Amino acid sequence: MPKKVKLPRVAKGKNLVYLDDSSIDNILAMVMTLTQEISVLTDRLDTVENLMANKGQINRDDIDSFEPDDELQEKRTERRKTLLKRVLLPIEKALDSK
Amino acid sequence: MQKQKHLMQPIPSHDESVRQDFITDFRAFLTDEIYPKITPYYVSKIEPAFVKEKGRIPADKKEVQDIMLKDSAYQSWSFLQRISQQMMFTSVIDTVERTLEDLIEETKNYTKLGSLKLDKSLKVPRYLTAYDIHQQPGGYHTENTENDIAAGVVYDISLPIYSRDAMGDENDLLAQATINYLINNLDVKPKKILDMGCNIGNSTLPFVRAFPESEVYGIDVAAPGLRYAHARANALNASVHFSQQNAESTSFEDNTFDIVASCLLLHETSHSAIPKIINECARILKPGGWMLHLDVYPFQRNIVEPLYDFLKDWEVTNNNEDFSGVLREMDLQGIFEDAGFTKDTIQFTSAEANSDADNGYTGDFYLKLPVYVAQVAD
Repeated sequence: MPKKVKLPRVAKGKNLVYLDDSSIDNILAMVMTLTQEISVLTDRLDTVENLMANKGQINRDDIDSFEPDDELQEKRTERRKTLLKRVLLPIEKALDSK
Repeated sequence: MQKQKHLMQPIPSHDESVRQDFITDFRAFLTDEIYPKITPYYVSKIEPAFVKEKGRIPADKKEVQDIMLKDSAYQSWSFLQRISQQMMFTSVIDTVERTLEDLIEETKNYTKLGSLKLDKSLKVPRYLTAYDIHQQPGGYHTENTENDIAAGVVYDISLPIYSRDAMGDENDLLAQATINYLINNLDVKPKKILDMGCNIGNSTLPFVRAFPESEVYGIDVAAPGLRYAHARANALNASVHFSQQNAESTSFEDNTFDIVASCLLLHETSHSAIPKIINECARILKPGGWMLHLDVYPFQRNIVEPLYDFLKDWEVTNNNEDFSGVLREMDLQGIFEDAGFTKDTIQFTSAEANSDADNGYTGDFYLKLPVYVAQVAD
């Protein structure tokens, strides 16, 4: 069995610093990735709850083949927006300051 | 909405799928909730502080840039916008990496229509290897394994996330704008059409659909995209002849094509490549043939609006689109005329497309982009 191919995950280019120094940039990037993972967990739980509401026993394949309908997709989008609003509140506040 | 739009695209796992959905919503949040605050913030806070100190408003984008790059509120948005693109790619790459071997195997079932000609000896130009354009890790050209298609797949499944599903099931709304322009403004019945810098062929296929009688060709310097393009076109039942060639100097004979088009090609090349590409268009077009280059960046305006000018350049520095700023200031009119295009046919105008909700597009999206048009002398 040949070794599994690994794809690059970092783009080549200028190393720019945005905030006071690169460690603060890194922390903000890490916060956003953690926020993304919270969103993934919440959606997974939501999928399980939706599946359980319809049948008593489910397995991993049920989760992977679950397709949210438009209504559920909209609900999730709203919930992600609320999550983002909470996490990014300090930045919104800074831009709102008069 | 189901993510797999044709059989050459991978199916994401549950978590990969909702991880990608998060990126769509993250980018929407930045566009809808944060970005609109920047101009009012500048007007109410940044500019008055500058006026207080200097007794005048900033004169140009350079002066605006000097203040904004030191402002943590602006820089926070700018950084978030930049990493939303990076996070988009990492979220998509998970799916592509997991499914890559199977997808490469699958390409063998999709070879019947059209053709694919690769050229191992072709050198990928430095403007594509010096840095990874729009931050796609590995760019268009990196070969991670034998018969690699990863860069193509990543591009194909990122576009709907990048565009909030506005590009349609076949990721082709931009080319639809070119075709609308062509049909509404030019009197041509093309027999042979070339799409330069075709990558995965998402802007090539619409020509096959719009002109079913024509022979359609696509060229690109990067092999992973072309391999994927050929399989993708077959999965979508379209015949295109793909070959690995540099648009600056192709192997096509003089007077071959009725139409030579490109979509988002020019701003990803270089100062010295542009005249070569335009000369090549003139050479391979038949007398009376047309070239149409669609691009994303707005034309240079004659009025100076320091904040607008500064924000307009955001992608140039922050999303690895370094050449696009230079392109805007080049004398394209002169380059087109020198190449032999008829002066009074040269147009720097707009191409438009309306997405149609019944056809896999999100309903309310209207697109208007710059298009550079010219006709070779008859």
